[in-house]
Amino acid sequence: MKRLLFLFAFFPMLVIAANPGFGDRKYSLSGMAEYSYNTTWGHHGNFDIQALMPINAHFEMEAKLQFSTANVYTGALQLRPKFELPVGEIFIETDVLYKAVARNRIGDITAALGVGYRMDYVSITLGVFSRVIDDWDRSWYTDESFVVEPFNLLYRLEVFCRPQNNPWNLSFMISNVDDYQMERMWQPLFSAGAWYDVNEHWRLNFWAQCKPTGMFHLDATFYGATFRTGFTYRF
Amino acid sequence: MKKHFLYIAIAALLTACSEDATLDVAGMFSPNGPTVQTRFEQSVAYNATRGEIHLEMGADDYTIYLCSDSHITRKTHRNLDYFMHQYRAAASPKMALHLGDLIDAQKNFPCADSILHYAGQTINDTIFLTPGNHDIYFKLWDIYRDFFKTSVYWFDTNNGTKKLDLFICLDSAEGELGAAQMNWLRELLAQKSQEGYRRIIVFSHTHLWKLDGSQGHCSNMALEATYEFTSLLSQYGVQYYWCGHQHARQEVHFKGVTYMVLNATKDEESQQSYMLAHMSDAREVRFEHVDYPKE
Repeated sequence: MKRLLFLFAFFPMLVIAANPGFGDRKYSLSGMAEYSYNTTWGHHGNFDIQALMPINAHFEMEAKLQFSTANVYTGALQLRPKFELPVGEIFIETDVLYKAVARNRIGDITAALGVGYRMDYVSITLGVFSRVIDDWDRSWYTDESFVVEPFNLLYRLEVFCRPQNNPWNLSFMISNVDDYQMERMWQPLFSAGAWYDVNEHWRLNFWAQCKPTGMFHLDATFYGATFRTGFTYRF
Repeated sequence: MKKHFLYIAIAALLTACSEDATLDVAGMFSPNGPTVQTRFEQSVAYNATRGEIHLEMGADDYTIYLCSDSHITRKTHRNLDYFMHQYRAAASPKMALHLGDLIDAQKNFPCADSILHYAGQTINDTIFLTPGNHDIYFKLWDIYRDFFKTSVYWFDTNNGTKKLDLFICLDSAEGELGAAQMNWLRELLAQKSQEGYRRIIVFSHTHLWKLDGSQGHCSNMALEATYEFTSLLSQYGVQYYWCGHQHARQEVHFKGVTYMVLNATKDEESQQSYMLAHMSDAREVRFEHVDYPKE
């Protein structure tokens, strides 16, 4: 009951505390390196490239690529119409993410549509996504098929320690999606992030994620973790 | 959509009751008993003392009785009683598999054992089990182990002169196989796939795909594990993966393997049935789904 009361009190407090304005979103390019471990792929490293392209005040695009030493390659494209509100900003998130699991000769494509609301201290996204998993070696002459998972819930709740236009920040996130994966709705991911603006152009990023499994089996166990660091250059 | 929000709310607030009926959400965030790594090690150690299981069926054709998710309590186990009665009354050769969630968490293993007669089973009423999440959470593994000894093992069938089929049981009770179990499976399949079995079948509790909303709030394995596991089964010519967990029948063909999820055996479940697999030299196994009688 205490937890419920806390939750009910906590969210209105965040809304009240929010101030409009997130600073100018500029064209930017990021390069990041990751150390990652999970019980399936073991220790591996990833290299990420991300480009943010704010087309105008109401529309931005983001492209992301990840190359993994686990022999897995991921590409994502996000189109994000957004509208400023008296308090905060509302955005529509459309994502397409393709994961080429070369080690297993499997392709996994997901398409998502979500609605988000962002304030200085909190960002919430809720939506749905569909997934198709296909075998690269599928025979067209048998009853073999690709696997379609038509409906998954997408959720992302991120809380920030400072307003989002602050030159440094800490954030904590619970979601079932991140830049390079869209997990099933019952497979939450716990992330923490930080950034520090070295100067007008350069930003230093840190990010960590823990991925447990079996949470909704009521017997959760550690599955994997990722640590990321890198720079963003804002033009 | 409403249903999913309801599931989230119920799961987050109530999760499940522990044995002393107190609210326990700890299991959502940390293991509340031995992890799959420990269970695997204990199972392999037991298997080494017990020796290999080779079931002599006496014929090429035989029937497997399969059920899953009986979730029995002390008060209600009508469907599991019915399943075992039908199985024991059937003509040989036969064997049975229970695909996990035998009990519903309140330490009902003695009751389950009185229905299965596991310790005293003979060649004519052999039933093999795999643990489900309900069988091991809230520190139930040690009790499960007292009754059923092992959660990871293999056995095969033969007709007296030649090998027929290979069966591999995996422990996926917490939605994770773990590195050691995956390595064991990889080595076992590499060896056994060369021994001329008619077919190789893997069974466990957790289903792999989220095809629709029927799985409720029960989770799958992580995606990375799904890619790796399905590729491994495909690589070594596994024909079927049988499981339960989501309480709704499903069949998927992917990378040469047929993934079959069984309906539940739980009393009061909306979709209740068990399955018969008629094994023969035919290319495909013939399956029959049998509804439980309504009360």
